[in-house]
Amino acid sequence: MPKMLATVVDNLVSRPATRPHPYQRREAFVRARGRIIFDISRCVFCGACALRCPAGAIRVNRAERELVFMPFQCIVCGACVEGCRRGCAQIIPQYHSPAYSKPEEYYRAPLPVREDDQL
Amino acid sequence: MAVKTVLPFGPQHPVLPEPIQLRITLEDESIGQVLPALGYVHRGIEKAGEKNDYPLNVFLVERICGICSATHGLAYCLAIEKLLGIEPPPRANYLRVVWAELHRLHSHLLWLGLLADAFGFESLFMQIWRIRETVMDVLEQTAGNRVIISVCSIGGVRRDLSEQQIEQTMNALADCERQLKAILPAILEDYTVKKRTVGKGVLPTEKAIRLGVVGPTLRASGVAQDLRMTGYAAYGELGFEPVVEQAGDCYARAVVRARECFQTIDLIRRALERLPEGDIQTKPRGNPNGKAIVRVEAPRGELMYFVVGNGTKNLERMRVRTPTLANAPALLEMLPGAEFADVPVITLSIDPCISCTER
Repeated sequence: MPKMLATVVDNLVSRPATRPHPYQRREAFVRARGRIIFDISRCVFCGACALRCPAGAIRVNRAERELVFMPFQCIVCGACVEGCRRGCAQIIPQYHSPAYSKPEEYYRAPLPVREDDQL
Repeated sequence: MAVKTVLPFGPQHPVLPEPIQLRITLEDESIGQVLPALGYVHRGIEKAGEKNDYPLNVFLVERICGICSATHGLAYCLAIEKLLGIEPPPRANYLRVVWAELHRLHSHLLWLGLLADAFGFESLFMQIWRIRETVMDVLEQTAGNRVIISVCSIGGVRRDLSEQQIEQTMNALADCERQLKAILPAILEDYTVKKRTVGKGVLPTEKAIRLGVVGPTLRASGVAQDLRMTGYAAYGELGFEPVVEQAGDCYARAVVRARECFQTIDLIRRALERLPEGDIQTKPRGNPNGKAIVRVEAPRGELMYFVVGNGTKNLERMRVRTPTLANAPALLEMLPGAEFADVPVITLSIDPCISCTER
């Protein structure tokens, strides 16, 4: 009984082990693999990310300078981030929020403008 | 006169987290014959492994099992490294041990919780899973994900640990150990729990050896066999004694896993203290050619990978033998003669992982 009493007191004074989820969100860990974002201004459309993606969630069209990313097919392994030499693919700790549909994300970069073109 | 009834236990049953069916022939309340039916979660992963490029398979094999995914990744990487003839740096070996053992810890805690749930001890189930959350947080902090951590890569590991993270892990382990010590008497010394587990589903040593049982189920039957003794990754340098119990019943299997939790915590501590400095990745070159067999100790027992490379980017064959496949025949030996009410506890005592077994 005295043993149990300690547990009872402990449970009375301690905070709950759970949190009211949608109202109070846990802060993401710094190194958590939340989701992938692309900084398309740095992209050279080499396709290294698409080659390394185990889920086939990235399509790169070099001619059109277009990158298509399917966030709901992505397994957030981070292989594309490791493969990207330009720092275009990045991983952020915030998770993708749930959605009703699974839209693809289109990234398009304008064609590079040469200096003599501007004249 | 006893009435014979055939009862389907599963594939959907409150005690089974995964689908397996046991067709149980009952004579009144005692069990006669048991026939298993498998194949509900077959996903064709072995075949998919032959279609993928070999470095991408690391992510695929991690998805064979949700609970021992780190061990699957480790075993696959070891097999490919054997074929390529590369050796991961010492720091990578130690980090592999840290993550593999963290996985073992959360797997055993998960199992202890499920055991409590199997005989209806809901509050104990929640208490143990609360402790497990500490380990999951460590995994997310260090590897980036809670369950499928994807840290192993061919030739090393993909993430390093900073001094601060090592300290955080040490603190979390101390916290985990303290909580576990407080809660374990409720599992191992409680009258009700003993009543449900002691003497149930006994597997004698000779029978265990004859059936080729592996892992904690074998060690609970008094055989000191653990593949970590073979010293793969950095286990050889860390010093290791397997946990053995003699009784061979459900209680002994619970004790083995509970004691292994502490042993695992010790192993992680030792690995973190002795963590060598240096690189974490050896760059793999070329394509795998030849055959390789690798055996590692998953939380549930011996896990075997057999890979055949043909000099191209794709593997010729990838064969996986999971611990539950070896333990399932023992389950069919344990059940006959037991009472029907003990089926959930005995079934759970081998820690069945069906999605592993069917892939």
